[in-house]
Amino acid sequence: MKAYLAQIGTIIWKDVLSELKTKELFASMFIFAVLSILIFIFSINLSIVNANDVGPGVLWVAFIFSGTLGLNRSFTLEKENGCLQGMMLSPVDRTAIYFGKMISNLLFLSIMEVLILPVFMIFFNVDIISVLFSLLLVIFLGSIGFCVLGTLLSSLASNLKTREIMLPILLYPLVTPVVIGSVNMTSRLLAGEKLADMTKWIGLISCFDIVFLAVSIMTIDHILEE
Amino acid sequence: MSEELEEKEEDSEINWILWGLTVLAFSATVYAIFVYVPTEKQEGLVQRIMYYHIPSAWLSFFAFFIVFLSSILYLWKREREWDIYAQSSAEIGVVFCSLVLITGPIWAKPIWGTWWVWDARLTSTLVLWLIYVAYIMLRLQSDAGSMRARYSAVIGIAGFLNIPIIHFSVLWWRTFHPKPKMITPEGFGAGMDDSMVMTLMISLGAFTLLYFLLMGQRVRIEKMKDEIDQIKKERFYSN
Repeated sequence: MKAYLAQIGTIIWKDVLSELKTKELFASMFIFAVLSILIFIFSINLSIVNANDVGPGVLWVAFIFSGTLGLNRSFTLEKENGCLQGMMLSPVDRTAIYFGKMISNLLFLSIMEVLILPVFMIFFNVDIISVLFSLLLVIFLGSIGFCVLGTLLSSLASNLKTREIMLPILLYPLVTPVVIGSVNMTSRLLAGEKLADMTKWIGLISCFDIVFLAVSIMTIDHILEE
Repeated sequence: MSEELEEKEEDSEINWILWGLTVLAFSATVYAIFVYVPTEKQEGLVQRIMYYHIPSAWLSFFAFFIVFLSSILYLWKREREWDIYAQSSAEIGVVFCSLVLITGPIWAKPIWGTWWVWDARLTSTLVLWLIYVAYIMLRLQSDAGSMRARYSAVIGIAGFLNIPIIHFSVLWWRTFHPKPKMITPEGFGAGMDDSMVMTLMISLGAFTLLYFLLMGQRVRIEKMKDEIDQIKKERFYSN
């Protein structure tokens, strides 16, 4: 077990190191998220619409779009110099590769989300500080679901000719429950409701996280083959 | 070789019986829908579309379930047979899911006054349709072989397991944004007349037969393709 965790840790550390060196992914994800928020602000008139009503949706769209950017990058980067081949040749379990990639994706996405929140707060003029803890919890729960399924599909799409197109087409319909749940919870948090009143949504998203973690563990051997 | 031929002959016999049964069932359905069953009092003629709408929905759901089963069996057994079943069933499912999405708005426009309402059932059908369209796109975009079969099996499994989660999410989503409550969707709850239930049942039966007929044809085409590829390869290497 300890060796297994160490393997996962090594893969995550490898991703962090390569990101620290190139600084490609993170900056593009962040800027892309800011840009998508900006486009939404141009397309809705904030003086008419209540920011609390549209804000959560815009925030999650930004997360998901820029998250897709990160997911796309995560496995294509491995493909480029045959790194994935090398990882598969090394004596680690396929699930360890999956967990390593999933956690590093989650890590990058979470950092990006935390940095986007102040931008969101300023642009939409909403108060998130009073509900910051619950909000972070909701965002984290949703991000887990997104990364769990996203990493599985990204590993799958990276072997296709049209990988950049296929990933969102496969991913978006499947993550609908996470999007609906997270947007719902975020908007209710901003409206002043307590997290304790939303147990069924938390249950649903946790259920999604667990089901697709199980699916990923069971099917990753079939995807990372040869 | 002769055994194979016999098997094929038997197959085609079953096919003819199935074909005949389906034609009979559909004649009965058409008769029942347009002659036998009385016109619904409130909704009028347009209500008759239900006898196509509900069976299509049933058929597409059944087809997606078969995709799920075949996908699991493929990953387990690794036999091309299951991959063919999954593919054929997914194609049939998407066709009939599209029919559901087309007949729905045709009925909804005169009855609800709008083509589309973001009602739980409509939303989940649309998401379901998108999932399986993506599934077919994935199949089209990757070359034939074990990779395509494995990848699509993963999507087939993930897609079907997602259905209950999607169902609950859209159900709760709607309850938080209540819209004018329509008469129970598809006009079911109002207590149907026996003749209507009868017609619906005949139609359901006919559509189920149609599924097996289409499935048989589609599987045969795919197997023929495999055979042709095989022959081509043999020729290529023997020359």
